[in-house]
Amino acid sequence: MASVSTSKAEISYIQSGLLSNPPLRADGRALHDFRTINLETGVVPLANGSAHLSIGQNAHHGGNGTEVLSAAKLEVENVEQGEGIDGGRIICTVTCSPSAYPHLSSQALEDLQYDMTTILHETFAHMSLLPKNLGILPGKKSWTLYLDSVVLTDSGNTYDALFMAARAALWDCKVPRTRSVEYKAPTAAPGSKAAESGQMDVDLDVSVQKSGFDTMAISHAVDFELPDYWDEGEVLDGRERWPVCVTLNVAAQSTKGPVVPYLDAILQEEAATPLRLLLVLSFPPGSSPNLHSMRLLGPGELDLSQIRDFVTSGEKYAQKVWEGLNGKLKEEDLRRGQKARDRFARR
Amino acid sequence: MAYSLDRRRINGPEESFPPVFDSDALQWRSGDPRNDRAPLDIRPIFLQPGLISQANGSAYIETAKTKIACAVYGPRQSKNTAFSEMGRLNVEVKFTPFSCSRRRAPMRDAEDRSVAVAIHQALVSSVRLELLPKSTIDIFITVIESDGLEGCVASGSIAASTALADAGIELLGLVTSCAASAVGNEIWLDPTEEEARLANGTLVLACMPALGKITSVWQTGQMKVPEALVCMDTCQDKCTEIHSVIAQALLESAKK
Repeated sequence: MASVSTSKAEISYIQSGLLSNPPLRADGRALHDFRTINLETGVVPLANGSAHLSIGQNAHHGGNGTEVLSAAKLEVENVEQGEGIDGGRIICTVTCSPSAYPHLSSQALEDLQYDMTTILHETFAHMSLLPKNLGILPGKKSWTLYLDSVVLTDSGNTYDALFMAARAALWDCKVPRTRSVEYKAPTAAPGSKAAESGQMDVDLDVSVQKSGFDTMAISHAVDFELPDYWDEGEVLDGRERWPVCVTLNVAAQSTKGPVVPYLDAILQEEAATPLRLLLVLSFPPGSSPNLHSMRLLGPGELDLSQIRDFVTSGEKYAQKVWEGLNGKLKEEDLRRGQKARDRFARR
Repeated sequence: MAYSLDRRRINGPEESFPPVFDSDALQWRSGDPRNDRAPLDIRPIFLQPGLISQANGSAYIETAKTKIACAVYGPRQSKNTAFSEMGRLNVEVKFTPFSCSRRRAPMRDAEDRSVAVAIHQALVSSVRLELLPKSTIDIFITVIESDGLEGCVASGSIAASTALADAGIELLGLVTSCAASAVGNEIWLDPTEEEARLANGTLVLACMPALGKITSVWQTGQMKVPEALVCMDTCQDKCTEIHSVIAQALLESAKK
């Protein structure tokens, strides 16, 4: 991803800075320091859940960072005739805004977009992370969650930003409540006028047995309606399961001593040290962390022992990102829920 | 499959569905041992270099239901005029329409690219590109029959590395690749498409056994971290065995 052209002298300068003791980076950060991360949820009113995240954005003029906008939208799909799957499914896409990559041709932009989409989709769309409340009518209709992310500006470390924004959008996502509806023909006398079929609201677990031979309790619910509710629905299930990503960039191969990874690379650092390991981890409470995706990207090779060390240190960094992100998401929920109500009460 | 009509071909009906067979589902329950193989057994590999005489180097690999043909053209002059002091490695993968159980469109698909990127990642560190400025090495991989994406990536990397060696391009080492999946508490190597679907998580590892270095790791699904590390260990050991198979095939073809 040569987003910025660097000369050999610059590459060598960045590499020796990273390997020196103490390590030196352009903005004075330590090897495992992130730039400031700004997160806001609920930014897209038409989506069921959304988030806007930026890493390293300048506080004064709001530019210069990696910005990602993520939105989760739910659509109803037919399980029998359409492409829906019973129980719902998730489809992730990533779009790279051409303004973020002005030097790339449209073909190269599409390829880049597709690579990011694959990494996001194969992690979030996996069966093990499927939320439980994405079904509407079992065997007939289900929700499909479209998780669309847009990279608005890129100044390095896009994968971490994408995963964090996607996680925040899913956290914020609310599934509308549905109520199943059954159509029953009126049991009127044969001579009566042909009336429209009566409509009766039936709860899903009440089965109507027509005759003694009907041994299977078939649900007759064929459609659903959205009851009027004051909130947007119930929270998407599985909030604690969505993973976070850390990108461990590998500073140049030195033949002596352990290879130390560093986090949150800017564009020039990414160009100078193209080899990186992507780790996507989740931390379920009360058990050891789950690995959802791991990819080695870029030209270069590593020993198995080096990978092992990277994964161990990656776990520690990912844990910090996890806790920080969770804290911020809860704070956002509070700001938009409780505090907004208090402010309205005091108006 | 009713998207745009392809005017260059005779199109079939707009909507068509593959037949559903009753008895095909793998009857496997959690806790059962693996069907017809030991967990750490891989399927026997048939590897033949030099089948495509038009190309600089080629290889054909076959393992049970995965059949892949690979052709290498290069090093040849780069089409675009931008000077690059390192050579370029260009991998293109094409799935034939009859390779999967559901017919694939003959047009270039997005899924082709993810396999191509994975194979590129596996191979790029093994080729001595600094000796080939301004040149491109083109690797064309045709998947004739596929048995799961992980199997394609693993076998494709092996075929491509063999083809590169057959073409006489300077390499730092042969790249071998192996896929593993975590099913229940066991680790099964070289999973078929069915087995990969049953698994909690799968991992594809590509390494250079001659140097003991790993060039590509691709893990999907949910695994505990120690489980993933054990998977990588087992894959790496198996890769060393596969390396001798490749070396043997190349030696025999060179003797002819």
